[in-house]
Amino acid sequence: MNRNKIKTYMMAIGAIFKKDIKIFFSYRVNAILSILEPIIWVVPVYFLSKSFQIGGKNIGFAQYTGTTDYMGFLVMGSIVSSFVSAVLWSMGFSLKNEMDAGVIESNWLTPIPLWVQLVGRSIFSLVSTTASTLIVAFLIWLLFGFSISGSILSSIATLIPLLIGLYGLGFGIAGLVLITNNANNIIDITNATLNMICGSEFPVTVLPKGILAVSLIIPLTYGYDSIRGILLGTKTLLPIHIEQLILVLFMGISIYLGIFILNKVEKYCKTIGNIGFH
Amino acid sequence: METTIKKPSVFTAMGAVFKKEFKIAFRYPTWFISMLIWPILLPLGYVFTAKALSGTDTSSLVSFATLTGTSDYKTYMLIGTVMWSWMNSILWSFGTSLRVEQVRGTLESNWLCPVPKISLLLGYSLFDMIFSIIYIPIIVLEFKLVYNFHFVGSPLLALLVLLVSIPAVYGIGFIFASLVMWVKEANSMVFLVRGMIMVFCGITYPLAVLPNWMRNVSKFIPITYSINALRAVITEGVSVGDIKSEIFILLIFGAVLMTLGLLAFNYTQKRVKSSGSLGQY
Repeated sequence: MNRNKIKTYMMAIGAIFKKDIKIFFSYRVNAILSILEPIIWVVPVYFLSKSFQIGGKNIGFAQYTGTTDYMGFLVMGSIVSSFVSAVLWSMGFSLKNEMDAGVIESNWLTPIPLWVQLVGRSIFSLVSTTASTLIVAFLIWLLFGFSISGSILSSIATLIPLLIGLYGLGFGIAGLVLITNNANNIIDITNATLNMICGSEFPVTVLPKGILAVSLIIPLTYGYDSIRGILLGTKTLLPIHIEQLILVLFMGISIYLGIFILNKVEKYCKTIGNIGFH
Repeated sequence: METTIKKPSVFTAMGAVFKKEFKIAFRYPTWFISMLIWPILLPLGYVFTAKALSGTDTSSLVSFATLTGTSDYKTYMLIGTVMWSWMNSILWSFGTSLRVEQVRGTLESNWLCPVPKISLLLGYSLFDMIFSIIYIPIIVLEFKLVYNFHFVGSPLLALLVLLVSIPAVYGIGFIFASLVMWVKEANSMVFLVRGMIMVFCGITYPLAVLPNWMRNVSKFIPITYSINALRAVITEGVSVGDIKSEIFILLIFGAVLMTLGLLAFNYTQKRVKSSGSLGQY
């Protein structure tokens, strides 16, 4: 890729980023909701954990994870889940929005590859997710309390390959949205299923054997597990460095496959001319 | 020569909206997959979280059983999540129906039709209600197969609880549709309102673990009573006499919320007309 091309791509990503900022702040309820919503999801699970406490501690939970700090476990899971959702929704749902608003065809006529447009759409989402995640984690710490004992830098280094790998999955989801002309259901189900069986709220060891086997072949499981292992000192499925290696491998394979699928779908949609249908 | 065109009735407009919704539903077949998957998927997280919190020797389950009167956390959570899902689908349906038409630019032309505007919402309600009638037996069957769901009490009494909950639930839907026309942001509003219901109504936990002020707030949300009554009927097999206070409260909520919903919609209708903001989004 030559330097001019990279410059053009960066300009396109910048323009999309600027557009997304404008849209985000045009609907101010969005900004408030990005803080409130994660707390709203955490609160019921907090009270659920309270109803199982013995003497104010989640003794039963410690038998599975090695920690009684269920809130810490949950918050770490919520943070990773927020990033997973940000990537999946920003890529898939933005395409559907553009279909509905009737601008997708004109965007596709620009000399910017679809994958660059998708990456552009995810950048603002990731920035806003990072900001809201930090605020939310702070608020939850104030409201419910939890403690982190490990290295934050090491956990960020684990999160980065996981996030890049998720982009590959996001490309695949975008492809599905283009074929089915539907976004909500596909993204919602994929997102919830992934978070669920990979252990965003509970240790995967409680899953029945069949589902656990599926969970163990999804790299995201090791993302949740290793980040909790690093920050909370919980029991991990594999040694942490092995889990990190799995995430790096996932990053490479997922990006390659995602772009490959997206290119095929793009070609197919252009051939049959269904881009603007919804 | 002057020709008089007969004004279509509310029912004609309702029927047209119903037909349109039906066509759209069949246009996006993935919707049916999600209809089958969500009832299983939503409680799954809570059920496995409860299993993890119970511990390997289920010692912590005793605490839960003491607070709720049952150690069957699965059925307890299934009932809560079904009610929440119902409310959630009403909010999405009412909140996004008018909003989507705003975005697609069809709301103004629909508004120009010589029919009472409420018929648009009633059409959506009709579609949603028929959908729910088909949906409920499917959910029960899925729960039986996946979660080994036990129905101790009378299914007819459970159905009665659902029926008396309808006016309150749809009243909230009408108010919500009006609110979305004002705020012009459906998704965020759905997340906020359904989140409030999730936090305050004891979807997955007993209200006894809530602080006092939260328990007081929960008394003003009708879903709390629907969930309590359904849990009593399904898990304990109580009779209609045991839940008569819940039924009475739900009927009152229904009358109040339905009236408020209709008033809110009428007011919003006049307001957006005079301010000319109907098509803005």
